[in-house]
Amino acid sequence: MIYLTNIDKYYDSKFQRTFVLKAVNLEVKEGEFLSIMGPSGSGKSTLLNIIGLLDAPSAGEYSLYDKSVLDLKEKAKVEYHRNFIGFIFQAYHLIEEMTVYENIETPLIYKGVKGRDRQAMVADLLDRFNMVAKKDLFPQQLSGGQQQLVGIARAIIGKPKLLLADEPTGNLHTTQGEMIMEVLRELNNEGMTIIQVTHNEKFAEYGKRIIRLEDGIIRKDVIKASPQPSPMEREKESKVMMVESGEPNVRIV
Amino acid sequence: MVKLLKLAFRRLFRKGEHTATRIISLTAGLAFGLLLLSEVLYNYSFDSFYPDTNRIYVVHENFRRDKSLDKMDSSPRVSGAIAPGLKADVPGIEAATRLNNIGSSVFYTEDKKSYQAQFSLADENLFDVLPVPLISGNPKEILKSPMACMVSSKIAEEIGGDVTGKVIEIKRYPGKKITIAGVFAELPENTNYKYDILISMVSTGQFFSWDGSTNWLGNDRYYAAVKLSPGVSPESLAPAVRQMQVKHQEIERIEQQQGGMVLKYSFIPIRKLYSDGVKDMIIILTTIAFAVLFVSFMNYILLTLSALIKRAKSSAIHKTCGAEAKNLQLLILSETVLLFLISLVGALLLILILRPVAEVQLGHKLISVFNAHVLWPLFFLIILLVILTSYLPGRFFSRIPVATAFRDYQQKKNKWKLVLLSFQFVGASFILTILVIVSMQYNSLITADHGYRTKGVYFGATGGMEASKISVLLNELRAVPEIEKVGLGHGLPIEGAAGNNIHSDDGEKELFNIADFYFIDENYLSILDIPVFEGDSFSQQNSVVNDLLISKRGAEKLKVFNGWKNVVGKQVDISEHGKSTIRGVFPDFIVNTITNPNSRPSVFYYYPAEKFEQVRAERSSFPFYVLIKTNETSEAGMLKKITEIFNRFLPYQDAVVKSLEMEQKASYQSEHGFRNAMMAGNAIILIITVIGLLGYTSNEAARRRKELAIRRISGATLSDILRVFILDLEFIAVPAVLLGLAGAWLTVSKWMQNFATKIPLHWGIFMVCSLFILLLVALIAAYNYTRTANRNPVEALRYE
Repeated sequence: MIYLTNIDKYYDSKFQRTFVLKAVNLEVKEGEFLSIMGPSGSGKSTLLNIIGLLDAPSAGEYSLYDKSVLDLKEKAKVEYHRNFIGFIFQAYHLIEEMTVYENIETPLIYKGVKGRDRQAMVADLLDRFNMVAKKDLFPQQLSGGQQQLVGIARAIIGKPKLLLADEPTGNLHTTQGEMIMEVLRELNNEGMTIIQVTHNEKFAEYGKRIIRLEDGIIRKDVIKASPQPSPMEREKESKVMMVESGEPNVRIV
Repeated sequence: MVKLLKLAFRRLFRKGEHTATRIISLTAGLAFGLLLLSEVLYNYSFDSFYPDTNRIYVVHENFRRDKSLDKMDSSPRVSGAIAPGLKADVPGIEAATRLNNIGSSVFYTEDKKSYQAQFSLADENLFDVLPVPLISGNPKEILKSPMACMVSSKIAEEIGGDVTGKVIEIKRYPGKKITIAGVFAELPENTNYKYDILISMVSTGQFFSWDGSTNWLGNDRYYAAVKLSPGVSPESLAPAVRQMQVKHQEIERIEQQQGGMVLKYSFIPIRKLYSDGVKDMIIILTTIAFAVLFVSFMNYILLTLSALIKRAKSSAIHKTCGAEAKNLQLLILSETVLLFLISLVGALLLILILRPVAEVQLGHKLISVFNAHVLWPLFFLIILLVILTSYLPGRFFSRIPVATAFRDYQQKKNKWKLVLLSFQFVGASFILTILVIVSMQYNSLITADHGYRTKGVYFGATGGMEASKISVLLNELRAVPEIEKVGLGHGLPIEGAAGNNIHSDDGEKELFNIADFYFIDENYLSILDIPVFEGDSFSQQNSVVNDLLISKRGAEKLKVFNGWKNVVGKQVDISEHGKSTIRGVFPDFIVNTITNPNSRPSVFYYYPAEKFEQVRAERSSFPFYVLIKTNETSEAGMLKKITEIFNRFLPYQDAVVKSLEMEQKASYQSEHGFRNAMMAGNAIILIITVIGLLGYTSNEAARRRKELAIRRISGATLSDILRVFILDLEFIAVPAVLLGLAGAWLTVSKWMQNFATKIPLHWGIFMVCSLFILLLVALIAAYNYTRTANRNPVEALRYE
């Protein structure tokens, strides 16, 4: 699904070149749940931005679904954002002047989904995240966890194949963080490919694969053979558990 | 779009986006800009309400006396027979009509109630050419019947009830009974020829001593309008018109006799008649309107862009949700539309509040501009402005890089802000300089020596007064201790004068045209302080009826044409008067106004007071004024006192007494209005510029607070810092101000062409105006930068 080959990202100043990413090679297969870890400034977010087509690499090759996406025109990038990629952010980045309902609905409007269909899709998600009663509230009237749930709902309403989460639990306390991670796991179990950036070892463990970045270089790439179900997960229906047990599609670079 | 407008509405109340400031700036700019532009468009809408208006033309008389003159005089007034002659002799003219203005006057109904109306004589073809909706009566019949008239719906309403069959009497023409036979819809204000009451043309003899309605030459006071057949061009009519002149005017013979004389008729589209006369004013008003709008919109864009920098993340969020550039541009467009709508409502409210002031300045009701010719162009202009104003911010917003926006997006370069700001400096210096020059010119006009006295001089019309009461009135006035002198005169210098021709000795040639003030008594010139420097002024002892005084310019011309060394005692033949003896010469004075001066030589004829009475007794409509000179110390209450005395001699106690000084000031109403428009425009532009400067310097101070703190830590004093920052700003302000001054110089040079006497465009005026703007810039910058520079540097750095 995702092939990054020899990706560099650097900034030139007068006398020196500063690398943020250097010779990054990464393949992510459909259905993976990848956690990217690393200290501040190691290039995690930059890597995520490149994968999400929000930033362009300085050198290297990037193909998404077997198509090179390096020289895409703005319009083509928009198509990817509308149909393939969803984003979740540490600071939620909800649109403040929009209600919960409107925030979730926004990607569908840009996608050109008709009003009645939009209504049904938003209603489904509100129901799924237990937020029906909060649909008319504005972001500032919600708790951090609730805001992030809206952020996730907005990210997934367009049914993206790839969900990119940049420290999705960074602003949340542990309980809320766990709740968000469970949602992500559930989405992954439904087949959505997820790449998250996190500082939190515990939450990184929700991923089926963890890579560690240091100074823009991938130092470690670990595939978890059989991820341990979390306490919350054990309570889940067996149907979900069935879906979860699949072959991990990972290769060590 | 509704969703987007809803979002835009919610954004209105967010802090830090200069929303209120942007609305104030737009409201002020739109109110003033739209008011001026509507006035400009109003000027182009004159007579556009007539059906087939594009086929209606006003006949102009173009006249050149001899070869020495390279320019032809053109006037929209012709002799009485021209309009019917054109209809009869020129194929291609579908209909023709003529009107003869009687003027504005009070009139009375049989129940002794008085009303004011504009009267005109009109022929029965009027509604074929210039139709207005009819409420009752048949104009073809009414305007053919002697002493029958039609009144406007407004007058009919004022009189009340069914007006048909009622009899009215014009104050100036006592005893002339006119019967109302029809009612027409009131004419809109935007017409070249306004009337409230139309009297049949066949009644001309009742109101004028001489009926010139069938004259082919002379008595050219008729407003003639023609309607051409579809597809006929006015140029194509020239040969047939010439044929008509040959047939009825014997034009070939006259041309031969008066070598070099040219008399031609042309057809000016009725819709262009008004706007052609105010072209210069239109150009200047348009320039100022666009200057105000431009400055206001530049300020709006500057503040919007500053606000958008703070919203960079929002742009990125939308993009990650799948928004394209056009979606983001639409978002900004919706915000602009909403702010425009609010500002537009604000502007309309502002105009509504200022309506009484605006109507006085504009000289017409504001409601008159509500016609399609004004509203549609304004509507499209607003749409265009909304699109243009939202384009730049929309483009900027849609191009913010997503990855950078999520970090900490800050505008690194501020050159574009300086460019936008410099536009405001250009506008501010441009309009301030124009205001100063216009004010100076206006002051020079109202204080200029017009060649006659106005202070302490009053005049009252004697229309409607019985002849026998004139001398009693004069005696009563003379008995008032504050009144120094009382005199009589047919006209006043501020009113202009009719024209007559001085003929050559042999009577074969017309030497030149004169401004004929007709008759005055022996006190008139001394009341107005007009001296007679050659010969003698009129006196009861030395003057006889019809003796003549001529102005210096006329005397000089007579000397040249007749080879005379002296004009006093010589006889001249003047049309309408016959032969008269010149008793003296007086200096030329301003006839009309300085803006619209009448350069013809002027003449006065002598009538003693008894003669005025005698003529009034013979002809009740014979008009003249009583002039009163008061002691300079007794101004207060004089107008009321004189009016009360006049009222004792008028049957309806409706005397109209005016101060000559006030009337002269009022004759410069349009200049006064222009000056006030400049003042309002200047105030608005200065406010907008100050808002823009405050916004810019606040943003700059915030953007550069770290730099300011480091400079302070490094030992810089407040004045060091201010010098650097203010000089940065003045660096762009100086060229902008120079550009504004250049624009102002070009504009006022054009405007000043309207005046015979002009104030000199001294470089000092431009210097003072530019210094004012530069000082304003420095003061505002100093205020905002001082606040930031005075903050604790440690706090500023921590904050950073």
